[in-house]
Amino acid sequence: MNAVPFSFWRALLIAQNTLREAARQKLFLFFLLLALALVVGARWLRDFSFGAPELKFLADCGFGAMAFFGAALAITATAQLFFSEIENRTALTLLAKPVWRAEFILGKFLGLAAVTAIFCAMLTLLLMAVLRWREGELMREFPETFASGGAVSYAMVALGGLLQWLKLAVLVALALLVASFAQTQLFTVVTGFFILVICHLQYLAQDAYARAGSWFAQNIGGALAAVFPNFQLFALADSLNAADAPPALHVVRVVLYAAGYIVAAGALAVYCFRKREI
Amino acid sequence: MKSSALTATFVIVVLAVTGTLLNRLAAPAWSATREKQPALTLDSSVTAAGQGVTLALLGGFRALVADAAWMRMYARWEVRDLPAVETLIRVVSAIDPRPVYFWINGARILAYDLPVWRIEAAGGFERVAGPTQQRIGREQAQLALRHLDAAMAFHPASADLWTERASIELSKLHDLAAAAESFRRAWEQPRAPFYAARLHAELLRRQGRKAEALAWLVQVHPLQPPDPEGGREDVVLQRIRDLERELGVAPERTYQPVR
Amino acid sequence: MSANPSSAPSSLVPALEIRGLLKDFSAGLHGLKLRAVDHLNLSVAPGQIFGLLGPNGSGKSTTIKLLLGLLEPTAGSCAIFGVPSGRVEARREVGYLPEAPYFYRHLSGRELVRFYARMCGMGGAPLEARLDEVLALVGLSAAAERRVGTYSKGMLQRIGLAQALVHDPRLLILDEPTAGVDPVGTAAITALILQLKARGKTVLITSHLLGQIEDICDRVAILDRGKLILEGAVVELIGRTDQQALVVETLPESELAELRAWLAARGRKLEAVETPRNRLDRIFLDRVGRNDA
Repeated sequence: MNAVPFSFWRALLIAQNTLREAARQKLFLFFLLLALALVVGARWLRDFSFGAPELKFLADCGFGAMAFFGAALAITATAQLFFSEIENRTALTLLAKPVWRAEFILGKFLGLAAVTAIFCAMLTLLLMAVLRWREGELMREFPETFASGGAVSYAMVALGGLLQWLKLAVLVALALLVASFAQTQLFTVVTGFFILVICHLQYLAQDAYARAGSWFAQNIGGALAAVFPNFQLFALADSLNAADAPPALHVVRVVLYAAGYIVAAGALAVYCFRKREI
Repeated sequence: MKSSALTATFVIVVLAVTGTLLNRLAAPAWSATREKQPALTLDSSVTAAGQGVTLALLGGFRALVADAAWMRMYARWEVRDLPAVETLIRVVSAIDPRPVYFWINGARILAYDLPVWRIEAAGGFERVAGPTQQRIGREQAQLALRHLDAAMAFHPASADLWTERASIELSKLHDLAAAAESFRRAWEQPRAPFYAARLHAELLRRQGRKAEALAWLVQVHPLQPPDPEGGREDVVLQRIRDLERELGVAPERTYQPVR
Repeated sequence: MSANPSSAPSSLVPALEIRGLLKDFSAGLHGLKLRAVDHLNLSVAPGQIFGLLGPNGSGKSTTIKLLLGLLEPTAGSCAIFGVPSGRVEARREVGYLPEAPYFYRHLSGRELVRFYARMCGMGGAPLEARLDEVLALVGLSAAAERRVGTYSKGMLQRIGLAQALVHDPRLLILDEPTAGVDPVGTAAITALILQLKARGKTVLITSHLLGQIEDICDRVAILDRGKLILEGAVVELIGRTDQQALVVETLPESELAELRAWLAARGRKLEAVETPRNRLDRIFLDRVGRNDA
């Protein structure tokens, strides 16, 4: 009998099914609506006018909502959509077909990456619309402040959204790695949130260990910085000003950095999952 | 158990090796990001704001926390709570020193609003003696300038911070030389507004340094951006002509703009 | 690894072959082991309906998962049409219906079966034709556009059968296919299995309801605590060659006495006089007079 080759097509089918399941779940809608409400609501959060920097406040709220609710969505949706396959025994029927376990993991990752991509795209578009609307109002209100044109670089907002998504995609890959060997959904969610906090703060630990001076402490810091990705790196485009745009090469490096962690975590998830008893 | 421990070790080792390589790849991007993102300050003023604030900061939401603290500062500003406003201006800049807006508006409140509150708290402009009013004004202006000095450590190439400094030196300390120098420094920064160059010359003129002012204006006039609305009188050229006349420059040596 | 499967003629290759299969599960932190399958040997010839029977916890489902490569054996081996179970290609000729299946609730019946068919590499017009065929075969054509979340238990089993059959596998593995299904559903599933046998398929079926599947199996194996305790052809196991049953209209006591005397004169003995009983499920099916759930 001929060998069954690895099929990207089958992984895409699993991804499509994962995306469809996520889209029909209340969890995705819940986080999406909360985040959308925060972005729109930010417009009315203040009872005074900031002037031009108010746009930065709106952007902070938008990206804050994307980061917070996006992380919660990435972790909980990964745990839920992975464990629902195991607990509901749909994984049994799926893996009883001529399907590689690597295809299953890749399919799950692609589906969840698509879920977070839709989430980030919708929030970024909404944020752009709110910024455009408020920018227009402020330009009419304070024409002298905007003498040199608009204050918002929409390319920077789009880049910010892309970087937020890359961060969430890395988080999905890490949560999937945990799920591949975890026995319970709860363990995956709790560990996922721990990883999120460590990834945000690892640079501080690295600094602290570097300041400690000793060879041992520095290596502990280095190891921590290597095992956990640095999520602060994705704040590369944390500005609305086109003049602050990072060089294209830096963006490419960050994209490759995220891709590298995704590939490593995904491969390890396949490694852990290949012998898992379903 | 043994196999789980082996698997966990394998996972950590693979991630550590991959991470080491990826950190090298991302190093230039990270150092650029890091420059813009100063160390998180969790000093007593910040931690006193509550555990929620500390937690949010650790979770990577420093921009949002700073925004919230700024809004809280405005709420206290509306009721003229001087100690709270002063503290919160410091807290906001400690949490997130990246937005120049926080520094500039903090300096403005320190220099322009707080002297008024202090004088009114001491009995009002009619009852507080003139020299005391001037002393309070100077104290607050110095406080604002120190605030701007701290800002410049984070934003060494900000024209806005230098123009703000010049404004305070001019309007609160009446120090024409210092203000002229600050406008000049502002003009040296990238994306500086042209009025900084114009005001530098104007302050030189007011100090009686007319020749210097003329030389400066001749030097910067070609750099003047076109008037977006068009048709307005060229005030710089007008000032050059005034100075040439005041200095008695021979007609053949007058400035001839290149068109 | 086993010998190259292509080296033997396909008619001689068993549909299923289990050799010395052993499976231990860890039962705690102190290295305790729970033996689910204990040195099991089995062989199922193509075209048979084979019943793997036993009480709950006897190791039937574990054996199936080992066969499908969903679990790693502690020792021993299993092969499907000569291909070791751990290999993906071993599952190309298998259709599997798990016990109490729960499918993607958000899909319609047709979408669900289409999804599994595509996973098996099917596509295009032949797929759509096959979907119609298989949905008709399991009697779900009318409910094909309904969401699986709205299906009854019997319908879930039947859509499970449809996904197992859609790629036309040579071997079907059905884990407790009638568990929790009402008599109407059970009768429909039983009829379907017999129909599949008629088409030349091999069917491995597990059940803890021993009586329910004895009518349809060619051979059975009975497991207890992971061990094989009995294996053989159904007729050999449950049929008796030293006795006969004669069914006659009810006899009065006097005629019964005459019959006993007649038998005694020939050296025979009337062992038992019983009133035959209708099976309740048969009565139920006759009364409801339908075959859909």
